[in-house]
Amino acid sequence: MKKMPKEYVGKNIFKVDAYDKVTGKAIYADDIYFDDMLYIKIKRATYPHAYLRRIDISKAQKLPGVVRIITAADIPWVKNFGLIIKDQPVLVGVGQKMRYMGDALAIVIAESKEIASKAVKLIEVEVEELEIISDPLRAMEKDAPLIHQDGNILATHYLEKGDIKKGFAQADVVVENEYRTSFLDQVPLQVEAGVGVFDPETEIIKLWVATQWLHDTQADIAQSLSLPKEKIRIIQPVIGGAFGKREDISVHIHLALAAMITKKPVKLTYTREESMITQSKRHAFIVRAKTGATKEGYLTAWQVEVIGDTGAYASSGPAVVHKGMYHCTGPYNVDNVKGVAYTVYTNNTYAGAMRGFGATQMAFAYESQMDILAHKLGIDPVQFRLQNAYSIGSSTPNGQVLTHSVGVKETIKGAVDLAGWEEWKEGRL
Amino acid sequence: MKKRGRGIATIMFGFGYGEGFPDHSIASAEVEDEGKILIRTAAADVGQGVLTVITQIAAEVLKVKPEVIRIIPGDTHLTKNSGSSSATRQTFFTGNAVKKASEGLLSNIYHYASIEFRSNYVELGIKDGYIFRNDNPNNKISYWELAKRVKEKGDCLKAEASFFPHTDKPDPKTGQGEKVYVAYTFVTQVVEVEVDTDTGIVQVLNVYTTADIGKAVNPKNVEGQIEGGTVQGIGMALMEEQVVKEGITLNPDLTGYLIPTSMDTPLFTTRIVENEDSEGPFGAKGIGEPATIATAPAIANAIYDATGARICDLPITPEKILKALKEKRGDCKE
Amino acid sequence: MTKLIIELTINGKKKKVETTPSTRLLDLIRDDLHLTGTKEGCGKGECGACTVIMNGELVASCLVLAPQADGAVITTIEGVGDDKGLDPVQEAFIESGAIQCGFCTPGMILAAKKMLEENLHPTEEEIKRGISGNLCRCTGYQKIFDAIRLAADRLSSRDGGRGEEDA
Repeated sequence: MKKMPKEYVGKNIFKVDAYDKVTGKAIYADDIYFDDMLYIKIKRATYPHAYLRRIDISKAQKLPGVVRIITAADIPWVKNFGLIIKDQPVLVGVGQKMRYMGDALAIVIAESKEIASKAVKLIEVEVEELEIISDPLRAMEKDAPLIHQDGNILATHYLEKGDIKKGFAQADVVVENEYRTSFLDQVPLQVEAGVGVFDPETEIIKLWVATQWLHDTQADIAQSLSLPKEKIRIIQPVIGGAFGKREDISVHIHLALAAMITKKPVKLTYTREESMITQSKRHAFIVRAKTGATKEGYLTAWQVEVIGDTGAYASSGPAVVHKGMYHCTGPYNVDNVKGVAYTVYTNNTYAGAMRGFGATQMAFAYESQMDILAHKLGIDPVQFRLQNAYSIGSSTPNGQVLTHSVGVKETIKGAVDLAGWEEWKEGRL
Repeated sequence: MKKRGRGIATIMFGFGYGEGFPDHSIASAEVEDEGKILIRTAAADVGQGVLTVITQIAAEVLKVKPEVIRIIPGDTHLTKNSGSSSATRQTFFTGNAVKKASEGLLSNIYHYASIEFRSNYVELGIKDGYIFRNDNPNNKISYWELAKRVKEKGDCLKAEASFFPHTDKPDPKTGQGEKVYVAYTFVTQVVEVEVDTDTGIVQVLNVYTTADIGKAVNPKNVEGQIEGGTVQGIGMALMEEQVVKEGITLNPDLTGYLIPTSMDTPLFTTRIVENEDSEGPFGAKGIGEPATIATAPAIANAIYDATGARICDLPITPEKILKALKEKRGDCKE
Repeated sequence: MTKLIIELTINGKKKKVETTPSTRLLDLIRDDLHLTGTKEGCGKGECGACTVIMNGELVASCLVLAPQADGAVITTIEGVGDDKGLDPVQEAFIESGAIQCGFCTPGMILAAKKMLEENLHPTEEEIKRGISGNLCRCTGYQKIFDAIRLAADRLSSRDGGRGEEDA
């Protein structure tokens, strides 16, 4: 097919926001100031799994410069939030549970950051400690204490295509391994920050906070505060990186509450430490993979069990973990596939979206399996991949038949060519 | 002793939310005052460059210089839903919505201009913000002049469009579905490492990448995504781990949690495979997430190639390599 | 709290600012002088986002107390380039695709400028080392190296550091 030449698509146009970014003129959330602005700091959980028995803000309240301290008792009308399941409290109240170290206990509003930080330290808390569950395998045991009411296994997803027994029966070689990946932080260079202003005339709360999805964030804030969506206006400042971390609520609801209650402009900026402890992680995965191939090097069966540690709250956890499972064979033809994926609560920092959304962890497993199999079969790893790779008409683990735009083999041949793979191999012999 | 090795990894990534979720983007394009064309979208530019992609697409369709395109910052009260800047979806989804909105605007430009020119639309041409009769290109009207005349008639030069492709919810018992994701991006990386077998330290020397992304709307920025994603992958493979013991993070700062610095950057060689039969705008697919996925397994495979040590838990720290070498371990078993 | 007044020259302008003994230079620059191009990424001197040039040296302004800057000459990103246009380093960052989220960019550009002031012909290794105190999570650094190389080539091939392109 002959393509029309294009003027701008396919060209290296300079980034439209680059000028502002090289001159320091780009305004990120923390760069916004108002004259009579107040500063917020959050009192966080003091134990990873515990009932809050008492919270005493009296000393903190007396500190000069403290304007207001909000605890759960002040906002009984506020509802939980969360991306898939509304399981995350805005503030943990007395008699309620803190489930990880990032849970918020109080919103401290003061005339300066320093005063707010000092006041946070003056808040006294008594808790009833519970068993901390830091290992998802422990969480899955029958006698493990429940982190949330409905069980520690938040979600179970299944995958089944073809006949797995038949597939392994056809295999001459089977490899079975367990892979583990760690909790990662997205580390966008800008930490969570925002500014909120309440307009008494329209009763609209204006928020300048980064989010990867404006309208979803607006919806979650509005439902949590029992307000119509149009009362929450989010204006997107320049965003200092995201990588999945800015899908979840962070400063948003606390800012909105502080602005509503004080009727003053308010700012909340996390420290890096707070960002790492409080906001979402890449899931730590355990992947048990069993893969079969014929001695000619054709894949016949692929079975996986996935355990994703989703930490204390759901966030997008169930979607991440099953998306990982759905990618379990990589871009290779396998007729017989079986999988199960467990998304498991623990008292660790909650896990959510990070670049690759479960498929990143899974690729470590399947591409290790492919390499191990190639060596076992005595087939060049490139050839092994090429002869199993998708083409038009291939079917994914979900049974989706690929009808167009399937350039897998081209990428393999291309990368090998770029790298001079054959020459390298010969040079080593 | 320093040993070199190479590893390969090939990955696929089904992008968009898929799985039957109502995933869509809405955008509008309008001729506004002072020689600009306004694009409204809520798409978040997190640094990946979606605003630049949109600018290029709108400029291409409307045949105007990119400087003419103005995009307002995302605002819940001024822009409609463009979904998330995640799932590798913005170029594909918002790119398509902006393309369709720009095409809608262009249709209106043709429609109203054909009235002004007392001509049929097929006899008209466009260039640099002007519409003219092909038989007399000097007889032309700028989009902005046309907009004024349209306004006098009580209408405006504006179009809104959305992109809302269908996907299927997988069967809960089997995960099977006809169209679970809108499309797939494929990436292969060959990675060359040098492993110091005395210290266990790994240096990534070379990364060769090919990515099937349909069409690169901005090749340099695609390269930027691949390089950035790869270096994040190096972090995941070799150094990054938030250590949580009994619910307590032991390394909640950048002193304890190491991310790659400029000293960890390898030499990059990148080739973009353009397979323009995707449903994306001008054939484009997404690259954001796939850019990071192949790196960690390719490094693990390269370390095996270099040393015979097979490490199956990330990150592959020097301690794990030394332990595996000491035990002469060539498989995952502890 | 004790208040004190310090005097400093920032981006060529003399300023008198009231501050406290425990205020960080970073906060003085951002909160008091509203030069918000200087960013905070970690508060511990690890990331380089708050880099400024103070008395000719690169410093992490989150680790400097405001009183230590009394009498100092400071350049922030707002002091790079002038009314006539961008600094060649800024131009090179734009042209090389070295910008993604932009949060590291001000510190990165100051570190690059300082490096090129001392050495107009850096090797690849010297470029890497020159910005090794500045973290970037988006770019993988390659396009930043490209930008510094481009700026170095242009600066070293020109009279007075400005002129025609050599690319």
